[in-house]
Amino acid sequence: MLSSLQNPRQAAAQLMNFGLILSTAFMMWKGLSVITDSPSPIVVVLSGSMEPAFQRGDLLLLWNRNLFSETSVGEIVVYNVKDKDIPIVHRVVRKFGAGPEAKLLTKGDNNLSDDTELYAPGQDYLVRKDIIGSVFGFIPSVGFVTILLSEYPWLKTAMLGIMGLVVVLQRE
Amino acid sequence: MYSSLVRLQNTFGFFTSVVFAVAALVALTDFITPRAPNVITLKTTSLSVVKGRPHYYSSKKEEYALIKFSLEADLSSLFTWNTKQVFVYVTAEWPASGDNSTNEAIIWDQIITAPSADHLSNLTPTAKKKLIKSAAGKSIDPSRGRISVKNQRYKYQITHPSGRIAGTSDVVLKLHYNVQPWVGLLTWNQNADFWKWKQLKGDRSRKFSLPAIKAKAGTKN
Repeated sequence: MLSSLQNPRQAAAQLMNFGLILSTAFMMWKGLSVITDSPSPIVVVLSGSMEPAFQRGDLLLLWNRNLFSETSVGEIVVYNVKDKDIPIVHRVVRKFGAGPEAKLLTKGDNNLSDDTELYAPGQDYLVRKDIIGSVFGFIPSVGFVTILLSEYPWLKTAMLGIMGLVVVLQRE
Repeated sequence: MYSSLVRLQNTFGFFTSVVFAVAALVALTDFITPRAPNVITLKTTSLSVVKGRPHYYSSKKEEYALIKFSLEADLSSLFTWNTKQVFVYVTAEWPASGDNSTNEAIIWDQIITAPSADHLSNLTPTAKKKLIKSAAGKSIDPSRGRISVKNQRYKYQITHPSGRIAGTSDVVLKLHYNVQPWVGLLTWNQNADFWKWKQLKGDRSRKFSLPAIKAKAGTKN
């Protein structure tokens, strides 16, 4: 036990290894962000407003470039409302005009009415720059871990504790 | 080296790789399954424009169009083992005045779940029970892709940010679909054939013009 503390070279190597894993993950995330042109290329579904297509905890892959066509009606987009930090995943149901100033209205498939009430006061429509990506890929349930972690904060502590214990107890 | 922890880690790592590889293969089978959807009829049956408050939160009176239509379509080839639901929607499209862009609005939509996703649908308990019963013993039910509605009332009226919509010409109704998989890529109807996937034939109605405002204003407020 605590063998790594008696061997500084090994301890340093372990530390470097840990740093490498973290930076690789970070680089992959940012690389994906650059490729998709989206600040958040993978999102976890948090609400049931698109059920039964998307359940809480499902993972969505986003694409935010308009290579061949503009974002149009029928696409499922993720958008941020001014001054609110929660991204919303809903379908575009109306589009007036074209280009970056086109007016877009969204609605959740499972909601009875459109999103006018979710928007900021005085905002009746979204424009293209409010959108951080269109959903193109779907992986079920994988994101439930993050929902559990954010809803039960003690899980985070427990996980970190276990990981720390493992690092200390592990013998190479 | 061969502590139980390392074994556990390796087992879990192998498990996740296998799960992701199988999921990727399942997602790929979508592309080798032929799709040949087609629309038999799509036509308007009644048109009207009224002036009033289309929503309870509307701040001002505006014109809005009410469209009824008939639709007959066969989308049965979209239902495969990886289909979770098909979202079918009818849009109205008309050219914007001033530039070359178009305005587009969904007037009606429907979620058609595959039998494997019936338990997730948000129907009333009785309707859900009936739906599950209708496909008892079947995991795939292509017959759900056969849509036939007659003189169907719009679900969403059409408005325009300018508040004016009466008399708009060159309006056309179009049918679209969005296939939601259990895992993999979301797909929409295409305008051209894509290998084994045929384009949606007959997806649009004839062009029509919206009438003038009805004499009496709508009673909705």
